Amino acid sequence: MLTEDQKKIYSKMADVLIPSAEGMPSASEADVPTKWIDDALRYRPDLEPSLLRALVFGAKYDAKESVEALNAEDVEAFDALGVLTSGAYFLNPTVKKLIGYPGQIPSPANDDVDLYIEMLTKVVERGPIYRPTVEVRK
Amino acid sequence: MSNPITIKPALPEVADVLVIGAGASGSVAVQELSKNGFSVVCLEQGQWTPASEFAGDKAEWELVKQKQWHPNPNVRGHASDYPINTSESDVNPLMYNAVGGSTILYAAHWFRFLPSDFQVKTLDGVADDWPFTYEDLLPFYEEMDRAMGVSGLGDDPAYPAGEGFPLPPLPIGKPGIKAAEGMNKLGWHWWPGVNSIASKEYGHRPQCQRYGACLTGCPAGAKASTDITHWPEAIEAGAHLVTGARVREITVDKTGLANGARYVDRDGVEHHQKAGIVVLAANGVGTPRILLLSKSEKYPNGLANSSDLVGRRLMMHPYAAVVGTYEDNLESWLGPAGQLMHSMEFYETDKSRGFVRGAKWNLMPSGGPLGMRSGYGGRPVEDTFGVNFHKNLKKVFGRSFEWGIIAEDLPDHANRVILDPTLTDSDGIPAPKLQYKSSDNTTKLIDFHVARAVEAHEASGATSIEVTKLMRDCGWHLLGTAKMGNDPKDSVVDQWGRAHDVPNLFIIDGSVFPTSSGGNPTATIMANALRSMRHLIENRSSQVASAQG
Repeated sequence: MLTEDQKKIYSKMADVLIPSAEGMPSASEADVPTKWIDDALRYRPDLEPSLLRALVFGAKYDAKESVEALNAEDVEAFDALGVLTSGAYFLNPTVKKLIGYPGQIPSPANDDVDLYIEMLTKVVERGPIYRPTVEVRK
Repeated sequence: MSNPITIKPALPEVADVLVIGAGASGSVAVQELSKNGFSVVCLEQGQWTPASEFAGDKAEWELVKQKQWHPNPNVRGHASDYPINTSESDVNPLMYNAVGGSTILYAAHWFRFLPSDFQVKTLDGVADDWPFTYEDLLPFYEEMDRAMGVSGLGDDPAYPAGEGFPLPPLPIGKPGIKAAEGMNKLGWHWWPGVNSIASKEYGHRPQCQRYGACLTGCPAGAKASTDITHWPEAIEAGAHLVTGARVREITVDKTGLANGARYVDRDGVEHHQKAGIVVLAANGVGTPRILLLSKSEKYPNGLANSSDLVGRRLMMHPYAAVVGTYEDNLESWLGPAGQLMHSMEFYETDKSRGFVRGAKWNLMPSGGPLGMRSGYGGRPVEDTFGVNFHKNLKKVFGRSFEWGIIAEDLPDHANRVILDPTLTDSDGIPAPKLQYKSSDNTTKLIDFHVARAVEAHEASGATSIEVTKLMRDCGWHLLGTAKMGNDPKDSVVDQWGRAHDVPNLFIIDGSVFPTSSGGNPTATIMANALRSMRHLIENRSSQVASAQG
């Protein structure tokens, strides 16, 4: 888990990756640094060391510059920052709603054969397309 | 479905049959042999995987699928996994080590090989024929369809006539309709996907809930994995299953017959399970690894390896993905994933294309919004993030689907599994190393198929198309490393899976495939395992067994 100071640094970097635009909230507006990043790290503890390396850049440079420098100098840490921030963002139910994603909910398999059976007759009418077994002289 | 409660009676000192591996083929062997009165012990290095552990019905699914449920054991790094040196391989091998094996994480594309797949040499003049035909295997295919509860539509003109599937097809969804429109414009073959996923309740299995999470384990229990399709009955019939058992070597008696296996349990304690007959079912990497580890005075080059073919001819099916994005919301996060449909239009050889053999295409949904948002490092930040994060999401999410291309790769002696000289697993057992290069024929094949798949997306009205010609993490199909054939000089096992060198050793996984086909192999692996074991059972009175087991 990140300390409060680390979350402040992380918040600036996260908003560079996911700003407020196109009618969507920024990472910090979606509570990524204050709430969802903790969940993301709980699911992916393997990425925490890389994220902490990313925050060293955040402490050294201003927000945009830190992300650019990280991308240039430590690809693994940049990827961890990207996956954790995006993953945390999509954990937020409000974000899911805004993008029209219902999440991982059950949706019983329906039968949609009637929707395509006429289209499929064209495939059937073209006839077999396989090569049959040939008799091989032993 | 909950896992069967197993009361563990003492293992027999000498089992009639020892099966190594509890995956697709090992499960078939254990069930068949146990039901027919054999005492059977199965050694499995992994554990049970209850459906409640799968993440496909949980919010964190897309985060954990990239690590804990990744199909590459080198990424996943579970205690049950062994490392694999892939530094000299174009493709990473994928697998899952557990009761049920890789059927836990497979996509459940239930693909039946075509008649021509068994006669590659006769028809196309390359590689080898199988020692039996499509028609010989057909009844076993149909039996496995019923055992696995396969959903599909019969009378596909890409196949000879046969029995239909036990369940109706799963929905092809909006992506399927869109794809079918394009294929019909071009006059190309397509057919609703055949999947070992229950479209309706089937036995103890519930109906598919379209989580689209097949590749990370089915949280509904609708996907047929052999931990739920085969193991309950096998245990009921008296089979003994030892989980967490990592095999160090197959042992042999003074006459050279296999008489059991030495294995290490999860407490690090070494055991020797004796048996009259040994069945090896550890997949196309694990099986040659164990055979090469099983060196002895009588078999200095490894067990069953007088032909020097153990580990050679590795085939892994290079895979290309052609993703189209569309204007409409296609709800393409919905399953099955699974295949929504397949196309066999370019499966058969047409030498005018400049290569032999072909590929099955499978239509796949595109999953959730996170996708594989990794590996972007080094590209300009603004390509993927910033305002483009939102723009790309709105453009692609729910609006894209993939034509996946499974390229048949032909056997090559230089493509092989060997023992790594230094790398070991957590028990100190030498790890496998893969040496695998994609061939010129495969490159030409992929180039042709990718160009056609682009045309298919264009005909369907895609607004943009993205091509990945070779996915590195695509080696689901581990085949060919203990070839089946009639000539002991040119094969490891006979048509029944019996080792030419060791007549009480059977190999029944994908290792024995002489050629790979251009499609998913699990149906053929299981049908072939069933055929082999039925033959063993029917000929038990004449089957040689170690008396020193």
